[in-house]
Amino acid sequence: MPISTFMGLNTSLRGLLTEQRALDVTSHNIANANTEGYSRQEATRRPTDAMGVPAGQIGTGVDVTSYRRIRDSFLDLQFRAQNMQAGYGSARADALEQAEMRLAEPGENGISARLSSFWSSWSDLANTPESGAARAALIEDAQTLVSSINALDDGFETVQTQAAQQLELLTGDGGELEGMARELAGLNGAIADSQRNGAQPNDLLDRRDLLLDKLSQLAQVSVGDNGAGSIRVTLGGAAAPLVDGAAVTWPAPAMPTPGGRIGALMDVASPTGTVATYRNDLAGFAQALTTQVNAVYNPAAGTDFFAYDATTKTLSLNPAITTLSLKAGSGGAAGANDAAIAISELRGKAGTPDDVYGRLVTRIGTEVADARRTTVNATALSESIEDRRQSTSGVSLDEEMTNLIRFQRGYQAAARAMSTTDEMLETIINRMGRVGL
Amino acid sequence: MSSPRITSSMVHRGVLADLNEIATKVSRTQLKMSSGKEILRPSDDPFGAGRALSLRGELDGLQQYRRNASDAEGWTTATDSALGTIGDIAQRARELLLSGGTGTVAPAERLKVAGEIDQLIEAAKDTGNSNYAGRSLFGGTATGAKPYGPATDTYLGDGGDIVRSIGPGVAVVINARGSEVLGNGADGKLLNTLRDISAHLKGTAPTDDAALRSSDIVAIDRSIDNVLTVRARVGAVTNRVSAADTRLAELEENAHVLLSKTEDADMAATIVDYSMQQSVYQSALRAGAGIVQTSLLDFLR
Repeated sequence: MPISTFMGLNTSLRGLLTEQRALDVTSHNIANANTEGYSRQEATRRPTDAMGVPAGQIGTGVDVTSYRRIRDSFLDLQFRAQNMQAGYGSARADALEQAEMRLAEPGENGISARLSSFWSSWSDLANTPESGAARAALIEDAQTLVSSINALDDGFETVQTQAAQQLELLTGDGGELEGMARELAGLNGAIADSQRNGAQPNDLLDRRDLLLDKLSQLAQVSVGDNGAGSIRVTLGGAAAPLVDGAAVTWPAPAMPTPGGRIGALMDVASPTGTVATYRNDLAGFAQALTTQVNAVYNPAAGTDFFAYDATTKTLSLNPAITTLSLKAGSGGAAGANDAAIAISELRGKAGTPDDVYGRLVTRIGTEVADARRTTVNATALSESIEDRRQSTSGVSLDEEMTNLIRFQRGYQAAARAMSTTDEMLETIINRMGRVGL
Repeated sequence: MSSPRITSSMVHRGVLADLNEIATKVSRTQLKMSSGKEILRPSDDPFGAGRALSLRGELDGLQQYRRNASDAEGWTTATDSALGTIGDIAQRARELLLSGGTGTVAPAERLKVAGEIDQLIEAAKDTGNSNYAGRSLFGGTATGAKPYGPATDTYLGDGGDIVRSIGPGVAVVINARGSEVLGNGADGKLLNTLRDISAHLKGTAPTDDAALRSSDIVAIDRSIDNVLTVRARVGAVTNRVSAADTRLAELEENAHVLLSKTEDADMAATIVDYSMQQSVYQSALRAGAGIVQTSLLDFLR
């Protein structure tokens, strides 16, 4: 088969065009070097089909076969698992830290200080059972103690309410979760359309993966492949997928194992969750205080000192207790102080209110420290996975600059080859057959 | 396997994460320095925080026991001094009895002596009515009223104990009742004895003389002895309370040391930490600035 004289021009042209495409891809990479979720792309080239000649085959140049998106989807799975832990840990740590701050321990304004001064007041009353000042001081201290216990319970309740509000903002109608689900469904549709037309929608795939990364911070994400570029996304171990292809199930299907920020907030807001158990412990403390003080005070004075309402979780001082009616001891004698001494002896012993309260403080401290540690660990792990992802998919400017030079040189060389062919043609067209002219 | 690609964003994120971590440490150390506390929140050291709470409670308790002890000491000291006065009165009465009760003293003189004894009785009752910070010392738990009225020798107080708690589960009875010391005028105690002596001095019957020389002396000796016994008991309580106070002071000191060890920051160590973290922070900043700025771009034409 004869070969066209002009074939070399075409071969060079293919080289020029291919280098140009490669330069375009490099520019795209450089432009997106700092774009979140972007995966670097690469123009994959292949020699074009060779031409058979009697001596064998002769090459016809090069062509771009695809624009490849460089990404390791296995790392995505690892990243999302850790990102969920980090989301869970940080939301939990935030909420529990709120509860911890409301304790105001160790300090002068915490319940332990109030309780201590309450016991001291009983002791002072035992020293001066006749004194109106000691009675007034005791009642004042008792009221301060009552209001700080009630305020702490209110504080815990506020932490729960705030978590519920945040949860509503995330998972309610028109919230972050719904927005993400609808965007995912939209991207699914667009990606499937592109692939049907034979195109590889790299940038859309990046956006979808980024969205899945963000979703993984909110809850446990599992992704299934529907084929043809479409995926289904199930959240928190739900029975039905939240997004299936281009369809969204809203309101979101119930999540038995939510995980992530949603899981943490659900636990904090729940009436059986972590903060709820703090409230129960606090109630146990208030109950112990009431029972133990009343057990001493009532036989001596004939009335209770404290009253605790377990349904509203409210502690109160018996309104019948006034500076006049308050009794330091049994019997009518002015100097009797047996009850006051017995109550002041409740301070600090095992099983007494101090003990119960101390355990609550230690428990909250431990859980906050745990949540913080989980967050730090999961964040460190997700960072290191993100590093590995970036090592694969990230744009290295040094590399792109090198490519820029490589492709530019390639382009220049292809142009030179074209010029050389052109010079050859010059010889053929203008110089040949002109013997004697 | 070839070495991993290092991309620009990895470098940036790495530098940022390191700076963040060091800055967090620096700010935490700063907080420790400015507050002087190792434990600012329970989560800094949950076990230590729980321990600090119970130590603080213990410390408050010890301070309260010391306050109780000091009140008890005031009470017993006042009681002791009143008992001293009563003892002096009884001694004076004994002297008067010995000098005025002999048969050689003229009846007019004996009446004068009887008059002085009557005065001593009033003085003894006044002393029995003495109070400490507005509370009757000798009235039992009826601290609001005087145990002896002007007209009779009847004891108006009650038999209650005044108790002070000077340690966990340690309650001491700090009072002496008027009924133990002065009696109620009919029980052979001091007032009864003095009234008898007075009556015998005023009387002229031979039995009066005989009583003055024998049974009255026995009775006054017994009364003096009784006052001394009660005073010795009160003195023992004073000693016990003051020993307890010394021990409480030691315990308080110990609790202070333990509390400080638990929740206070070790300043020397904290300051060394701080300057070390500062220098690490600065070198991280410098290294970061160097890494972040350069790229191949700087060296291409």
